Amino acid sequence: MAGEGRGVGPGAGRIALTLADDRIARFSRQLLLPGFGEAAQERLAAARVRAVGAGGAVSAALAYLVQAGVGRLWIDDAEPVAPADATGWIYGQADVGTPRVDAARDALRALSRFCDVEAYPAGGVPTATLVAAPSLAQALHAAEAARRAGVPHVVLEPDADGGAIVTVPPGAPCYACARSTTGAGRPPLPGAAALAALAASELVHLVATPDAVPGRRVDLVRGVATVRPTSRLAGCACGAAPGAQSPATGPASGSAN
Amino acid sequence: MTPRATVDLRAYACPLTFVKTRIALERLAAGEVLEVWLAGGEPAESVPRSAADEGHRVLRVEALAAGGAGDVRVWLEKGAASVRAPGGLP
Repeated sequence: MAGEGRGVGPGAGRIALTLADDRIARFSRQLLLPGFGEAAQERLAAARVRAVGAGGAVSAALAYLVQAGVGRLWIDDAEPVAPADATGWIYGQADVGTPRVDAARDALRALSRFCDVEAYPAGGVPTATLVAAPSLAQALHAAEAARRAGVPHVVLEPDADGGAIVTVPPGAPCYACARSTTGAGRPPLPGAAALAALAASELVHLVATPDAVPGRRVDLVRGVATVRPTSRLAGCACGAAPGAQSPATGPASGSAN
Repeated sequence: MTPRATVDLRAYACPLTFVKTRIALERLAAGEVLEVWLAGGEPAESVPRSAADEGHRVLRVEALAAGGAGDVRVWLEKGAASVRAPGGLP
């Protein structure tokens, strides 16, 4: 970088910036956020994020993560793109019928050269997980696997144009403690991206500034977000050793979205 | 007071001038001084203002003798903390 860090005059020292110029230019707006600096951007670049579920409702979150500078994004979804997924964020009508993994990879790779987008490799160990599973049972399973592995995670519960997200840093009350219990949410509206963007923002903060994000639940209703800290259900094993299985994640029925 | 370090950012424009200034300030301890060389015009105006907004102290802004017309050097004393904690939502 031209002239940067050049010491001039007595007592002046060199400052070595580890982020390359092209990364600084690409992520400059994010680097300007209060509390978000070079170290945070480097943590994002080193991250391996597993996306459990890559349907239309979460597709805006996947684009957000790539644009934020996540270094590796693993897509964990065996389904093809459905007509309802073609919301325009990463899937179009031409992708219908294509495996979501392939369509997402092609679309997301085109957004940034700083992110490797791949199918989730069996046994891969992520540094963070975004859960947007198609059923409550799958969401509970994925969230519990992440919790037991000590992996910070965010779970989406879409509901029409809003819904809820649950943020679970290591040691916080688990998703089973904080999930919605009032019944299944309505299907996400086509093009509704607010919840997905909120979830991606939470995940970015979990990775980039890990000490700054507590366990919390955000309910998004008609565009208004309400935040409250999560609390542990009495007797839930998430308050014990990290490897202990939560009894609250037993067989579940119903849909998360 | 002697600057702890100096960065020459005359080749850059907004927002990179302040992004790089901010990253350089991250490397210093509170109370230490950073000298920044900036091109005249928008960078010379906005970088000191943005640094002050973030809680740093602008000690001096003066013409850079060896520079082009309008080039300045700015001394910034690193503040104690960012003006707002990270963490996204309130």
